[in-house]
Amino acid sequence: MNAQLESMISAAKTAWANEQSSGRIRIRVTLDTSSLARGADETLAKLQAAAESKKLVADVGITGSWGFCWMEPCVTVRSAAGTQTILYGNITPDRVDEFIENVAAGNDMPELALGVVEGNATAEIPLLSDHPFMKGQVRRVMANIGLIDPENIDHYIAQDGYAGFGKALGMDAEAIVKEMVDSGLGGRAGGGFPAGRKWDFLRNATTSPRYLVCNADEGDPGAWVNRILMEGDPHIIIEGMLIAALAGLADEGYIYIRYEYPLALERMQKAVDQAYAKGLLGKDILGSGKDFEMVVFRGAGSYVCGEETGLINSIDGYRGMPRIKPPFPAQAGLWNKPTNVNNVESYANAPMIMRNGAHWWSSVSEAKEKGTKMFSFSGSVNWAGCVEIPFGPSIGTVIDQWCGGMREGLTLKGFQPGGPLSGVATANRSLTLTLDPYRELGMFLGGGGIVFFDQNTCVIDMCKFFLAFCEDESCGRCTTCHGGTQRAVEVMRRIQAGGGREVDLETLQTLVTTLVWSNCFHGQFAMTTIKTAMKAFPEEWQEHIYDKTCRAGVCEALARGNVDRSQVEELALAGG
Amino acid sequence: MTAEPELRELRELLAEFEPDRGHVMPALHKVQDRYGYIPKNAFDVIARQLNSSPALIYGAATFYTDFRMHEPAKTEVSWCCGPACRVLGGQLIVDAIQDELGIGFNEQTEGHAIGLHVGQCVGTCHEAPQVWVNGKVKGNLTPESARELVRELKEAAE
Repeated sequence: MNAQLESMISAAKTAWANEQSSGRIRIRVTLDTSSLARGADETLAKLQAAAESKKLVADVGITGSWGFCWMEPCVTVRSAAGTQTILYGNITPDRVDEFIENVAAGNDMPELALGVVEGNATAEIPLLSDHPFMKGQVRRVMANIGLIDPENIDHYIAQDGYAGFGKALGMDAEAIVKEMVDSGLGGRAGGGFPAGRKWDFLRNATTSPRYLVCNADEGDPGAWVNRILMEGDPHIIIEGMLIAALAGLADEGYIYIRYEYPLALERMQKAVDQAYAKGLLGKDILGSGKDFEMVVFRGAGSYVCGEETGLINSIDGYRGMPRIKPPFPAQAGLWNKPTNVNNVESYANAPMIMRNGAHWWSSVSEAKEKGTKMFSFSGSVNWAGCVEIPFGPSIGTVIDQWCGGMREGLTLKGFQPGGPLSGVATANRSLTLTLDPYRELGMFLGGGGIVFFDQNTCVIDMCKFFLAFCEDESCGRCTTCHGGTQRAVEVMRRIQAGGGREVDLETLQTLVTTLVWSNCFHGQFAMTTIKTAMKAFPEEWQEHIYDKTCRAGVCEALARGNVDRSQVEELALAGG
Repeated sequence: MTAEPELRELRELLAEFEPDRGHVMPALHKVQDRYGYIPKNAFDVIARQLNSSPALIYGAATFYTDFRMHEPAKTEVSWCCGPACRVLGGQLIVDAIQDELGIGFNEQTEGHAIGLHVGQCVGTCHEAPQVWVNGKVKGNLTPESARELVRELKEAAE
């Protein structure tokens, strides 16, 4: 491996070991957007004040999210001897004084403990790996999160960070591409297109300069897995992009982060600055003769900029309107030069593929889709959190195991994977977290967000909501999209107001078959929610249009009704 | 309405930016970070600095929800329109807030006191249904607690 990198890693490991054996208690507070929403900044400040005033002899620092978002703020306490680390949840500002007293007194707090991270289980606190939420999880891209300070590059390097890049430095571009293709890593935004092949397109491009783009525009509501990565382990993304740069012979990389993620932006910028300072970015990286520049780019609130060519136009300085393809970004992307666009999580998988090999990486999943995938779950379930699991578990397992079941009194009516373009599914607990079942239903699994809904959710209202979102976010290029979504919203509003007509179903069906002519995914799939909801919940459409009732009681202009339509002759949904 | 900034000040603020380097968005952000919104006379300055046209800069700026062309309110309330919030009663929350404030989205109460916007999901869904008050999450709302929150904000604004 590159000698400079080798000595960098060994120095970081020594520093890490010294930090770990300081002989002081080590406290790490999860500081991310989720924990901040529950007062983690105050929790941290109080802990720091206690440490400063020597009330508590401890090193206090920060880390990323354990995925226990509903239990934030999470705090780990590592014993002074370094023999045991316990993860605690719900250390909200009102609890922190008592928490400090207990830590100072050396008391465990079983009632707040989520589990033992390091060391043996105690009589009252089981291992964290035995927590139902952690069972079945395989934390690979999330391996460092919870352990390291995301704002400290040495922490990352001490976990063999940048070693994957070091290995790639000794390989030629073709060999890196081959390793990536062999791994079977598919695009993590939901497309599943092999990342290695994409990198090969860039490698084979005929002009330069060449660009890499990291799509961190995570605009699908209900998905926050990229945020967890950027806020928890930003260097894994930089390292992944560096490897892609070697494979695709790229000169410059852009990380496009949505406006709504200020903390992710700040952490990524800090990480990029640190990588420059270490000579891991810039000219003649680690004396290898390779150059690579990186820019952290801030979006400004546009869903359609998550579409790769919309994103490219946005960086170029134009309205973020998706371009007409071809040419594809690999031919003409940023400034019409060859460009490769991947999702955050796609890049983040590259370092460990380089480090441990394609075979190791793909062996974890029994499904066709290889490797692990991060998912975020929310809605009518007890736990809104983020997991990393191999592809394949069923929705039933997801709800029971990783979501702590449905909230009291709520029964599962259906769920929405992906985002506003992905469609809705019924309460089919046997559907698996793999790509194909959703494709067969005319929908997508998407980028990792899954939102569960219950009997109090009106499917018609939900369709209206998603269509209104699509209407708002339409770039305006295609009549099919901006006009079509507008028309659909009008029809949906009228149905909700009690003015539903038989012809509405036909009109909506026409829109389903018309919007597919739109230029980009946004328009092509804007009607997916309605299309899939008409198939999945036909009785609710009938109730709203013919009976003027809304079983969920959401549509105020309609009577609250729960007419049993199972005996009613099923409506012929044209083309449905 | 505050006076527009002086051109000299804008030129200084934007001096670092160059044409054809992807600097349109960073320039707009820098102006908004400084003034809280993008004053009208900034478009021409950005265009000159980037060797572009005001039409292109204005066109780009107006594409994005988060570039504001007007002064922000002293207290900005954003209502999360995400699906988890919606599933858990988000619509009732915003109905209550709009009723209590007497304004709709992208409107402000008198004297730029309180503004209301649609916010996008950032994955703090454990707090659903929620709003942000000047960027800070206020979660697990009920229509009643949302009304209470708005009343407090109104009182604080007086």
